[in-house]
Amino acid sequence: MSQHLIRVKINGEEHEVSVPARRLLAAMLRDDLHMTGTKRGCETGICGACTVHLDGKPVKSCLALAVQADGRALTTIEGMCGADKALHPIQKAFLEHGGLQCGYCTPGFIMATSAFLAENPRPTEKDVRVALSGNLCRCTGYVGIVESVMAAARAMAEETKEVQG
Amino acid sequence: MSSAKIGVSVPQLNAREKVLGTAQYVGDMKIAGMLEAKVLRSPHPHARIVHIDTSRARALRGVKAVVTGADTPNNLFGFLHKEYRILAVDKVRYAGEEVAAVAAVDEVTALDALELIRVEYEPLPAVLDPEEALKPGATEIHAGSGNLAREIRIARGNIEEGFDRSVAVYEATYEMGYQYHGYLEPMCTLAQVDPNGRLTVWVPTQSVFFTRQILAEALAIPQTDIRVIQTLTGGAFGGKLTEDLNTPICAFLSIKSGRPVRLLNNRLEDFLGARSSMPARVKLKMGLARDGEILAKDSIVVADNGAFSNLTLEQVLVTAFRTDSLHRLKNVRCHARLAYTNKIPSGTFRAFGTQQMAFPVDSHLTMLAEMIGMDPVDVHLRNAIQQGDTSVHGWYMGSCGLTDCLEKSRDGIGWHEKHGRSLGNPTRRRGVGIGSGIHVTANRQIADWDGSTVLLKMNFDGRVILTTGESDIGQGSNTVMAQICAEALGIPIGHVTVNMPDTDIAPLSFGSVASRVTILAGNAIVRAAREVREKLLAVAAEKLHLSAEHLTIEEGFICQAGNPEHLMPLAEAARMAMFRVGGEGIFVKATYDPPTTMADKETYYGNVAPAYSFAAMAAEVEVDTETGQVLLLDSFVADDCGRALNPRAVEGQVHGATVQGIGWALYEHFEFEDGRLVNGNFADYTMATADATPALRAAIVESMEPNGPYGAKGASETAIVPIAGAIANAVYDAVGVRINSLPITPQKVLAALRELATSREKELPHA
Amino acid sequence: MRDFEFLRPATAAEASRMLEDIGEESRLLAGGTALLLALRQRLLTPTHVVYLGGVAGLHRIEFDERNGLRIGALVTVAEIAEHPLIKARYPMMAAMAGQVANPQVRSMATLGGNLCYGDPATDPPICLMAMGAWVLTIGPDGGREIKLEDFFVDYYESALRPAEIVVEIRVPAPMSGVTGMYTRFVKTRAEHRPLVGAAVVARAVGGECLESWITVGASTLIPTRLHRAEQFMKGKAVTPHLLLEMAEMAAGDVSVVSDFRGDEAYRRDMIRVVLARTAATVFSVSL
Repeated sequence: MSQHLIRVKINGEEHEVSVPARRLLAAMLRDDLHMTGTKRGCETGICGACTVHLDGKPVKSCLALAVQADGRALTTIEGMCGADKALHPIQKAFLEHGGLQCGYCTPGFIMATSAFLAENPRPTEKDVRVALSGNLCRCTGYVGIVESVMAAARAMAEETKEVQG
Repeated sequence: MSSAKIGVSVPQLNAREKVLGTAQYVGDMKIAGMLEAKVLRSPHPHARIVHIDTSRARALRGVKAVVTGADTPNNLFGFLHKEYRILAVDKVRYAGEEVAAVAAVDEVTALDALELIRVEYEPLPAVLDPEEALKPGATEIHAGSGNLAREIRIARGNIEEGFDRSVAVYEATYEMGYQYHGYLEPMCTLAQVDPNGRLTVWVPTQSVFFTRQILAEALAIPQTDIRVIQTLTGGAFGGKLTEDLNTPICAFLSIKSGRPVRLLNNRLEDFLGARSSMPARVKLKMGLARDGEILAKDSIVVADNGAFSNLTLEQVLVTAFRTDSLHRLKNVRCHARLAYTNKIPSGTFRAFGTQQMAFPVDSHLTMLAEMIGMDPVDVHLRNAIQQGDTSVHGWYMGSCGLTDCLEKSRDGIGWHEKHGRSLGNPTRRRGVGIGSGIHVTANRQIADWDGSTVLLKMNFDGRVILTTGESDIGQGSNTVMAQICAEALGIPIGHVTVNMPDTDIAPLSFGSVASRVTILAGNAIVRAAREVREKLLAVAAEKLHLSAEHLTIEEGFICQAGNPEHLMPLAEAARMAMFRVGGEGIFVKATYDPPTTMADKETYYGNVAPAYSFAAMAAEVEVDTETGQVLLLDSFVADDCGRALNPRAVEGQVHGATVQGIGWALYEHFEFEDGRLVNGNFADYTMATADATPALRAAIVESMEPNGPYGAKGASETAIVPIAGAIANAVYDAVGVRINSLPITPQKVLAALRELATSREKELPHA
Repeated sequence: MRDFEFLRPATAAEASRMLEDIGEESRLLAGGTALLLALRQRLLTPTHVVYLGGVAGLHRIEFDERNGLRIGALVTVAEIAEHPLIKARYPMMAAMAGQVANPQVRSMATLGGNLCYGDPATDPPICLMAMGAWVLTIGPDGGREIKLEDFFVDYYESALRPAEIVVEIRVPAPMSGVTGMYTRFVKTRAEHRPLVGAAVVARAVGGECLESWITVGASTLIPTRLHRAEQFMKGKAVTPHLLLEMAEMAAGDVSVVSDFRGDEAYRRDMIRVVLARTAATVFSVSL
């Protein structure tokens, strides 16, 4: 039925995509644009594996239509690293501090963490646990993930200091 | 030899792609011409299929294949027990059973097509309770079965005498329901048939060879015409042994359509399609001597097989007898029955049925301790099996850190300051509890071979490719295998590449089951590496005019023992070994089959595993006496994994298993209404989030297993075993109520508190 | 999800006209976090979805002492939780909004959508009702104001007429001496939806309750104001006993749902406990 040409800026790059009205945002990213870092996990807005940023805010791309992103800006896991796949401090922290096992939930956790640390750069462990309550991990028991987020916060604070210094 | 690779927390080999989001799971893969499949499931728990009309679905644009049971090969299949058809034929046996399947150009079209399939059912009486199912005259789910899938009787020692000598005897019945694995990657298969009819299947399986065998039977084609390749696996926990039908249905649709087909469960389908853990009702009676010795253990198990048989038949044996080897028992007896019901087929789950007896036993030991006025931890310690012991069922403990685990957990939680102290205030009461667990490391059960064969190939550059059939299902076993290989060869970990299992290429193994990979593949890798090492040292010795026994390999260089000076890069030695008259590529095969025996078929006696792992948990909870809510305040789990080859990986397994255990104890449960699962989604089936668990604590106990590579044994399953019992005991310590059915919900706690208050009032002397 | 036509009106009036033209087969989409669930499971199968996201002027949060708080229907729950003025003047509301669902859902879900969807197991309606909120609508017959107490009619059903759209939510300016609290009670830490929501807003002087507004929800078909309990409290000295009595009365006055997440008896018990505890905090009394 209705097909829509939408314009959306993804990770800084303009895209024009033609999608049917019922295309989910997650499906557009994965199937139309082949950006498969955004995962399908539960499709009920609980697990957070599909977390992306829409105009800078974390959202679940399984609970939004692609057409809702028309004219807006998205950041996905693919946009987190720097040139030549240089890891973002959050990615580095998850790698080094046991923030992952099977890796399926990892992009979602990294995107949720990035949105959270932007709002609260000096969190307590409790803050982190509450902030990540929209993401499920079945492997780690969350211990490594919380450690990773704390480590990322410290690393990012150091970076900010360096830039300001 | 350098020990730099062992005991080091190396990040997973593929951690970079995982944090970048470039890691490809099968749901991320695409092949030109690929179709997407969807499955129509039965809404009835038990019904005769009168008629299926697929004509409208077939006519829908974009639909390439529609199949029903009538189209599928007319033979029964299953990994060990042959009861399945690819799609239901004649009748459905549970609500959720696969009835028809569609392959279409995209997923929404496939879903549209499902809506156009008309199935006429004639509902039959449904049998939903295993004890009801076993009563004479109950409706039979499989004709002639009497609804009995397996019956086990085990007896050792003299149970009557044991109870006669006991000063305290306690009896209670425990109820445990399904637990869903909850891997974040739902089950998914991608299948493709070539023009010669050869099938290639990409699937996140725990065992490529199990999958190949199941597919060959299901599709009635030779195993050699099937190639199964494991894809990056987003968690499994026992749930990806492909005993579910996702893979056969997908492969069948690929054959029927002649196109590549992918079948990706959505989460709601996965709850119905997966083989969740075995529900069980355990009636347990145990007797204790004055000094705390367990003199007798007698149990009656009635477990729920659901509608079809999986390795649940093997799990019920584990429930019946495994925890007996946790203690120095002499007199034990169990009668276990596994019943068919019109519910979701139960299946393999982390710890393979051990927890279904550990929860009752741990609960019991706390009650019995109280009866004889002893500290529960001391009762555990009094009975704990020790290194060098052979258990009542013939299991030999080459290493055993159970006592250490119990003491570490006890001290870690601050037991002596907290137990029996009635801490808290009247509405918020605190308590602590203890539990313990055992698990096998490998298990000679599937066949009289429990080995692992590995292939080690060295390239011209002195780096190696390790090929095995052992599946890394997310726990990081490939990384640990690389560590072992690097250590045994003397090369950097980065010089080891581990292949994903592929049945066309990989040597035989059983994959990631029974905590077997580290010990079996690990030992095979050590053997293979030793052989490569000897070859290389021999050629290097010849060139250097030194004796090979004085040479060693350090970080990829030939050195003299005790002298770090690099004499020759390994690459040079590798080339010398290959490029010479009579030379050959370096390609070594090695096998490790552990020194174990298959248990006796009648008595179940025999040392089935090369090692046994242990764990203990101490839990501290706060119970809200007005709401019944149980808040886990602190969790301390000690895990005896022999030796932690990668401590962070072991801790990750322990913490993950702990939270899964917490879920079973407090949060997770299947709700059925008229035989239909009503909470099969992540909103209503509530797995713990980060804010639903405390900051877990763990300790690793290293008992140095003699059969293990560098002392290691299994580390991934044991920690789930003691969790529910420890939490139930902590609730008891806090408020004096015993919750014997899982999960320990606020409603149950509140009801029990009221019952307790009522009975206390009655006990008060009347004025 | 079934296929549908996707319509993007530029104004609320245009949206209303579209709904009117299409009739029952149309659904309004705001943030989508709730509607998408139903569409995906094909529980709802509209032929047309009218998307409000392009409508200007529904994203504002404004406040003045005379008119109170005005929240555009498309303001997200996260924006409410983080808004400095709401945090300062309506801390009860900001705290409530900060607990709804999870962070990602909060940044997509809109207040207007939340109220109109009529899901009983959600926090904002219960909290806002106790705060005396009302909605402004526009529709084929023009606009009207509906108090939240009159807005919720039945399970997933509001008082909105066909083609009527909520454009703004209003909350009176805080009266001096009035304090309040909303409690989101989840049965276990792992649950995602409240079993009980309870709000108590009160004006008390010298330990006497002059006036109160009490609501419960999540365990009732619709958020419910408890007039008898409010009357019972009026003019009385607040004691632990009084609050327990009030909670008992309130729990007895509501009709309670029963399902696998909680049977009727347990839910009623929890309404009592949660209300008593919430009131105790509001009145600074220990039970």
